[in-house]
Amino acid sequence: MKFAEFIVSPILAFIIGVFLMGLSRRIMARIHRRYGPPLMQPVIDMIKLFSQKTISHGPIFDAGVILSLAGTIVLVLFIPFGGMCPLRTSGGLLVILYIMLFAPLGLALSGGEGANPNISIGISRKFILSLGYEVPFILIMLSVMTYYHTISAVDVVKAQSAFHWAIFSVPLFLPGLAYILIIPAMLGIRPFDLASAPQEISSGPMAEYGGKYLALAEIEHAFAIFITIGLFVDMFLGGSSNVFYFFLKVLVVFVIGLLINAVFPRFRTEQAVKFLWKWPSVMALAGLIIVLAI
Amino acid sequence: MNLEMLLAVAFGGAFLTYIAGKLSSWLRDTLSVLLTLVIVTMVALLYGKAGEYSYMSFLGFNLSLRTDTLSWLFAIAVSVLGSLSAIFSLSYMKGKERLDFYYFMMLLINASMLGIVFAGDLISFYVFWEIMSWGTFLLISYNRGPALAAGLKYIIMSIAGSAAYLLGMFSLYASYSTFNIADIAARISTASSGYLLSILILFSITFGIKNALVPLHIWLPDAHSEAPSPFSAVLSGILIKMGTYGFVLSMYVLVGLKTLSHLGHGILSFHFILAILSAITILIPTFIALMQDDAKRVLAWSSIAQVGYIILGIAIGTSLGFAGGMFHFLNHASFKALLFMAVGAVEYRTGTRDLNSLGGIIKRMPLTFAVALIGALGLIGFPLTNGFVSKWLIYKTLVLGKDPFLAFVALFGTWGTILYAYKILHNIFMGQLPEDYKDVREAPFSMQLPMVILSIIVILFGILPGIPLKIINSIGVSFGFKSLAVNIWGIASDTGALNTINIFSAVLVSWVIVWLIFKAAPSSLRVEQDNNYAAGSYIPKERYQYTANFYAPIYRIIKPCLVDVVEIFYMVAARAIRELCDWTRRIYTGELGSYVMYIMFFLVVLITIKLGFNIW
Repeated sequence: MKFAEFIVSPILAFIIGVFLMGLSRRIMARIHRRYGPPLMQPVIDMIKLFSQKTISHGPIFDAGVILSLAGTIVLVLFIPFGGMCPLRTSGGLLVILYIMLFAPLGLALSGGEGANPNISIGISRKFILSLGYEVPFILIMLSVMTYYHTISAVDVVKAQSAFHWAIFSVPLFLPGLAYILIIPAMLGIRPFDLASAPQEISSGPMAEYGGKYLALAEIEHAFAIFITIGLFVDMFLGGSSNVFYFFLKVLVVFVIGLLINAVFPRFRTEQAVKFLWKWPSVMALAGLIIVLAI
Repeated sequence: MNLEMLLAVAFGGAFLTYIAGKLSSWLRDTLSVLLTLVIVTMVALLYGKAGEYSYMSFLGFNLSLRTDTLSWLFAIAVSVLGSLSAIFSLSYMKGKERLDFYYFMMLLINASMLGIVFAGDLISFYVFWEIMSWGTFLLISYNRGPALAAGLKYIIMSIAGSAAYLLGMFSLYASYSTFNIADIAARISTASSGYLLSILILFSITFGIKNALVPLHIWLPDAHSEAPSPFSAVLSGILIKMGTYGFVLSMYVLVGLKTLSHLGHGILSFHFILAILSAITILIPTFIALMQDDAKRVLAWSSIAQVGYIILGIAIGTSLGFAGGMFHFLNHASFKALLFMAVGAVEYRTGTRDLNSLGGIIKRMPLTFAVALIGALGLIGFPLTNGFVSKWLIYKTLVLGKDPFLAFVALFGTWGTILYAYKILHNIFMGQLPEDYKDVREAPFSMQLPMVILSIIVILFGILPGIPLKIINSIGVSFGFKSLAVNIWGIASDTGALNTINIFSAVLVSWVIVWLIFKAAPSSLRVEQDNNYAAGSYIPKERYQYTANFYAPIYRIIKPCLVDVVEIFYMVAARAIRELCDWTRRIYTGELGSYVMYIMFFLVVLITIKLGFNIW
């Protein structure tokens, strides 16, 4: 465990995440037959937001948004990529499941002090959505952990070396597919952007945010994109000890997901939960049963 | 320092406090707090001692007390929670009626729980168990009205449990002609598995009722929400854990790990069925808790669900699972007592615990919010709180033991917990402060102190889980479990280690970095709660809040699935019994003639049997 990993891995994750954010706006624009903003637009936005003045509703309003980003950065340290995984001995996939809580809970606490019903509705929707996607997500994680008989993410990657990718194995094919289906729900992007629906509830949890608060939330989103897809690459596409290959894998998964999801309209909350509890859950459950059977 | 003296102080002190109350209320309050503190010290001094002492002879049976690390762990939890709740009571109960009785009962229950964990034979255990049950009944009913019904529900269930216990106890006596737990344990391994199973099932009914294991849980939600808050903290924190102690005692002390693992095969073993029951206990109450609008009712249902984790860990019968279950018992005692106290403090100041009418209290009671937040994070099992470590241990053993479905239920239950824990925090403390509560003040010091102590425990055991885990590991080893590689920071292992210090430092460092970035940006302007963005529409002057029906979409999905079959079953059973009794009552006609006829008829039956079968 080298100390440099602690610094290098979040920075790389940030760069990849911001690049994917910029790219997604370009691809979306092309699908909509627009030209779209430059690739660097998210960075420009962040610099602009950081320089703006803003309002605060109290200490928890500030602390929540800080906690949200800090938790997400810690989460990066648990994701093995490019031969790095700084916190490999600190609890493995089970801890990853839990540290994924920091971000939504931080935003929820911060928004709660915002004292705006739009925020409360957004948070309520966000938690319900997470209850929705956690069912398939837990089943997917369990089938991977049971199949490889470990809770360590590094060991899962190691077991898939030499192209024994989990997604091409019989038991883990369906869980892998289920993961692809729930990625947009985990990231809160279309068609699962119900928690931050701008037209309905003024962007939900973000309603009272401006300036640096929005900037931190954007950075958090960049990290979240990297983590959600990076975890998929680690668990199903064999990860990679080369940062560039890892990035390529993440890129391919991201673009495929984007192409599918760019054309869907937004779900209602109940529709989203029912969808998530139906198809991805059934697929993940089938995978888990096959894992247990063999 | 021996056990007899400890119990003498505990029981004698309770009576003394009652008498002191007749003289002056100040003397009574001081005495009760001092007494509980003395008991904490006495129990703490017992650490590391083991042994058995006979204290009296009753009808020729030798009654004894015993102590070992298991008893000590439960005893220290009992005494610490007892003293914290006595301190909390000082201002919470001030000005209420029948206070002498209240303190007397609190201390008596505290003493009887100590008696239970130190009992060395089944008779002493039973006597202390009954003192506890009846004392609890009286305190649950303290507020009269609906509380009386709740208490009645509790005591009826409790009596049924005691009956099962007596049956098990006498059956053991018939086989081994001793009531001493250690003596029975030494000889029980030769018994047939059918006999062992029947004993275990009888004891599981007793302890399952106290522990509120589904489907024996129906007394708990009413009892927890109707009892006075300081007692709710004791009730949920430690009193229902006497059932957990009973489970550990009957499974691992009495029957023993080796014998237990041979009971049944595969999914039809005692372990596994108990584990499935606890999984159900996690799943369903979590979603019922989600739909409650009374803060204490949410916590009550949540207690049932968390007890599910404890029993799940203990039932699964691996060293990781046992450590997780025992650790979760300690953790639940700390964070659930903390939450009950926080809700009690809010109720004390605002007069309500209705989740739909509160809001924005964070601005008036910031400290109460901070401790409630810590309690809620512990309840969720957030990393860096103690609840996280114990749940992690349970998940890990389930995942690696090829029980992914139990692991799924446990993990999914956690996500339900997040929803209701946030609902409590949001609906009480967040959002806008209603006009009615503009003048609410922070809770008094005697309420703050126990809450702060408990939140320190939640954080301390979350960052340094090794402190309690070392003790729990030594208990596990004495039961024959494989020793765990416990360090101060967690657990080392080749199938995935846990290091809480690493997580803590990582979170701390990234927090500081993000905070520095946050501070470097232009500072923000602090605004009032009504200075809100409403997308251009008019902001109402009165209440601008979203709390009622907080998770409406999920209610609509799960409500049709949640029919309380257990409650319906008990109601139908109660009605059937009443009808049966009504029917039986008809034989009491009030006429002498019919009674004479019954006697004659009975004699005829006896004579016929004697003549026809000659069995006497």
